Amino acid sequence: MKSEFAFIALPISVLVAPSTFAVQYLNVDQAQRTIFPGKSLSAAPVKLAPAQRKAIEQASGVRVLRDNQQVWRVSGGGWFIVDEVVGKHEFITYAVGLNANGSVKQIEVMDYRETYGGEIRNENWRAQFVGKTSQSPLKLDRDVKNISGATLSCRHITDGVKRLLAFYEVALKRG
Amino acid sequence: MRTTLEIEIRRCRPLLGTFVEIAISGTNAASLERGINAAFAAIEKVHRLMSFHDPDSDVSRMNRDAFPENVIVHPWTWKVLETAQQFAQETNGVFDIAIARLLASRGYLPKPEYRPDNAATWRDIFLRKNCRVFFRRQLVVDLGGIAKGFAVDRAVAALKASGVKAGIVNAGGDLRVFGPISQLIHVRHPAKPAFAAGAVRLSERAMATSGVYFARRRHCGRYVSPLVNGCSGRSTRDLISVSVAAAECMVADALTKIVFAVREQAAGVLARYRADALILERDAAPSWRFDSSCDTPNGTQSD
Repeated sequence: MKSEFAFIALPISVLVAPSTFAVQYLNVDQAQRTIFPGKSLSAAPVKLAPAQRKAIEQASGVRVLRDNQQVWRVSGGGWFIVDEVVGKHEFITYAVGLNANGSVKQIEVMDYRETYGGEIRNENWRAQFVGKTSQSPLKLDRDVKNISGATLSCRHITDGVKRLLAFYEVALKRG
Repeated sequence: MRTTLEIEIRRCRPLLGTFVEIAISGTNAASLERGINAAFAAIEKVHRLMSFHDPDSDVSRMNRDAFPENVIVHPWTWKVLETAQQFAQETNGVFDIAIARLLASRGYLPKPEYRPDNAATWRDIFLRKNCRVFFRRQLVVDLGGIAKGFAVDRAVAALKASGVKAGIVNAGGDLRVFGPISQLIHVRHPAKPAFAAGAVRLSERAMATSGVYFARRRHCGRYVSPLVNGCSGRSTRDLISVSVAAAECMVADALTKIVFAVREQAAGVLARYRADALILERDAAPSWRFDSSCDTPNGTQSD
């Protein structure tokens, strides 16, 4: 079948372009069932002591921004961790499943949000937010589902996973 | 036809240095789940085989040892190399996977420990029987311009093999739509990537877009980008974007690099692969459109 490759240029007035491109893929419950199907998980949040933070930063070479880490213990061994990374253009919530031996089982992006904070200073950009309240959020995700053109690199998640593996060694591993 | 019982699942994992999103629809949740896992497994495999950064990948093993000895690679790596060499031949080296030394010297790839021969090109890469690869000179290959598209094609094959009837796989902007559906694909604004410049409707087709977007940086006082013309060694600095639609995502991916480098002169190779192309200038205005279904090899000027 031949596709129509007609390019529909958008007039400036309807540029599909609020400051964010956001998708929610999975909530916590769905992410747990995706990475550990059929397992039961119990919450085991961790609050890091200053010395632990430092140890994680030294081992991973990545800064620890928060003391609290959302962790669940998996029945039969393993861990489920929810984490966030913030980059210049992105804010991403993701889940990491660890096997009982601390190796990575699976990574799933839960929330992906591209933001362009730097450009909001531009007047045209600010005008787009006029009249938008939390009750009428910009729903880009409804209209724009697929984007062609380089997305951001996943370097921040790679760093985040490195940090979580050091977190495992410091705060979760026993014996 | 879509039924009311149709469910859609949409997942995203960090792979291939970017975000890979798969959205599929069907009526059986368990089989969709199996399909999506098989598709991600295929992409992970391409990642493991073709990563420039992983010392155990086929790409690293070739770069280390294919000069002066044969290196045996996985049939998937072989297939990508074969396609890359075909494009190199057809474009007389505009598309060249042996340009990684230039990317490394401009800071896009880690500098290799060994010293590649500056005269080395794709002509020094030899693909021999039984998936053996030999380099005639010390050189560095990077499959970054084509492996992402190949990974999308493998994922679609895995989904189809699992019985998934319709969906879309999008690896950092290189995507493919399959099944009895059509999808509206928005193309980023070349100069303002947070904006969509427009949209294209696709079905049973792949599309890739290359732009400088987030990748442009300064090198020796000039802007450079990872898009390099293999013939001239010059990299693209203009804030334009190139989109190509073709049957296979690997082909679309490679063709964007060629159109980027030679623009309208790519009409011949686009026609041979029955591919369509679109160039957007920095104000998002289309400056060249090539439609493979048209008879004119010079393409059609869009207004």
